[in-house]
Amino acid sequence: MRLYINIGGEVMLEEKSGLMSRRFLLKMIGGGAVLLGLNKLTPASAQVSGQAIESLPSFTGPDANPYWNSVGSFVVYPQKLPLIQLTDRPVQLETPRNYFLAPFTPNAAFYVRWHLDEIPNAVSLSDWRLLVEGNVEKSLALSMSDLMNQFKPVSIAAVNQCSGNSRSRFQPRVPGGQWGNGAMGNALFTGVRLKDLLNAVGVKTGSSQVQFEGLDRGRGPEGKGSHSYLKSLGLSDPVIDETIVAYEMNGEPLPMLNGFPVRLVVPGKFATYWTKALTWIRVLTEPDTNYWMAKAYCIPNTPRGNTTPENVNEGKVEMIPIGSMPVRSFIITPDGSCKIPEEMPVSARGIAFSGYGRVVKVEFSWDGGKFWTKAELGEDYGQYSFRTWETTWIPKRTGKYVLSVRATDVKGNTQPDEGVWNPGGYLWNKIERQEVFVGAAK
Amino acid sequence: MKKVRCIIIGFFLVVLIGTVFAESEIPGLIHSGQYSQGTLGSVRQSSPAQQSTDGVYNVGAYPLYTPELAQGEGREIIQIFCRFCHSTTYITMQPPLPAATWESVVNKMIDIYGAPISEDSARQIINYLRTYYTPLTRKQ
Repeated sequence: MRLYINIGGEVMLEEKSGLMSRRFLLKMIGGGAVLLGLNKLTPASAQVSGQAIESLPSFTGPDANPYWNSVGSFVVYPQKLPLIQLTDRPVQLETPRNYFLAPFTPNAAFYVRWHLDEIPNAVSLSDWRLLVEGNVEKSLALSMSDLMNQFKPVSIAAVNQCSGNSRSRFQPRVPGGQWGNGAMGNALFTGVRLKDLLNAVGVKTGSSQVQFEGLDRGRGPEGKGSHSYLKSLGLSDPVIDETIVAYEMNGEPLPMLNGFPVRLVVPGKFATYWTKALTWIRVLTEPDTNYWMAKAYCIPNTPRGNTTPENVNEGKVEMIPIGSMPVRSFIITPDGSCKIPEEMPVSARGIAFSGYGRVVKVEFSWDGGKFWTKAELGEDYGQYSFRTWETTWIPKRTGKYVLSVRATDVKGNTQPDEGVWNPGGYLWNKIERQEVFVGAAK
Repeated sequence: MKKVRCIIIGFFLVVLIGTVFAESEIPGLIHSGQYSQGTLGSVRQSSPAQQSTDGVYNVGAYPLYTPELAQGEGREIIQIFCRFCHSTTYITMQPPLPAATWESVVNKMIDIYGAPISEDSARQIINYLRTYYTPLTRKQ
């Protein structure tokens, strides 16, 4: 027997089963429980299947975004899995939470953030050259083949995190890309040491910074930040020795949206310095005063880059270019999507990293941050990589629990339990929390 | 006639189904076989890339998914000026922002980024953003 059932305008096909025997149906009709049954269906389906039937709101605020990721739709881009949309021109896409269970973020899931509208769709490696020039003895124009063959290849696992990652947590909210936590990723980058390139061209005395420029252009007037995206590093910054020009990402060519053909990898520093589609390396004699160094990506020169809107409005705040990434850690599972039966051992897992040195400790709390236990750290892929962590938690009783995670790096930096506020929406590293429900198992 | 009977039976079954699920004879089973038309939409897979052996490495055009801006006075002027450098998802993505913040954002586009927007047009743009995208006024 087949039964055709109409629910909410949709015709469903139900195979006959013991559950739906004719006798059983008749019994129910006779039982007069008809309306009661209908009432029960509605709230239950909302609870059980709410995640797949109801969408998130299209925006959050003026309160903080309460979700792990930003609230945009899933969208499909070339060489990418469905990612979360922030903007479409220029392109900004966020990596969904579940990809962070692994220490390395797949290229196809790696977040995307461009500043300018004209980003590469097609690049000819027959004509493209990496130009190393400026205050140097002898400029060089290097093809992809030159980079791969004339210089020693080096690999480094490094976290790339947008300066504004988690900007949607700010209170009061600040304008800018309303990222949740997914404007970050970890990859094994392979390429050429910047130092080897600088040595090859011979940096002349009197040089102060190295400037980087990619193939991207904006439609604004020349000389303005809306025309080209320029970033610089000081030649005396120790990071210069660790910086590479990467032509490989997780053992593959870079996705076009992540900076094909090569991008700068500046380990420990925020992604603003990791110039994509890198094409010009210029040795400067004077500090770079272009918009992207002097005005954008600047933070208050205060502890944690913290200030208030009042101080900013009164012009009291000295601003300096953003630098290294403060220590952070994240709970990836449990993510609150399912109720946990009491007494069931739960594997809590996630990642941690710091731009100031190796993560040496990750602590986990199931009571909102009063009592902490040490989590086990996963494999060490180097001080600039994601470090996975894991711990087993056995909820003894039913109830609502607030899980928390806190990382400490080798310098003793640990995550605070306070947010941060600055006008750019940068440097968020407050202890992360995840609410979970533990249900009865008996 | 048959159709009508089907509809009537269908109606009773709709009413019944909740009862059946709620009072299953299998201990512990509360609901099963519940489906509903998806309301979130589905995403088509993209086709494999067309490739060649020359030095050109390319991807197709980047797709735009631009939500509608709120209908109202000033919308057209926004479409003209703001879309020159970026899509209007840069507006819809933002949280509701206070009027003063919108004003400083628009001024930044003009003063810092060099957007060629006349004073009058800037006023209209700011008014539009105030009217539809502040904590008090934002609807969508």
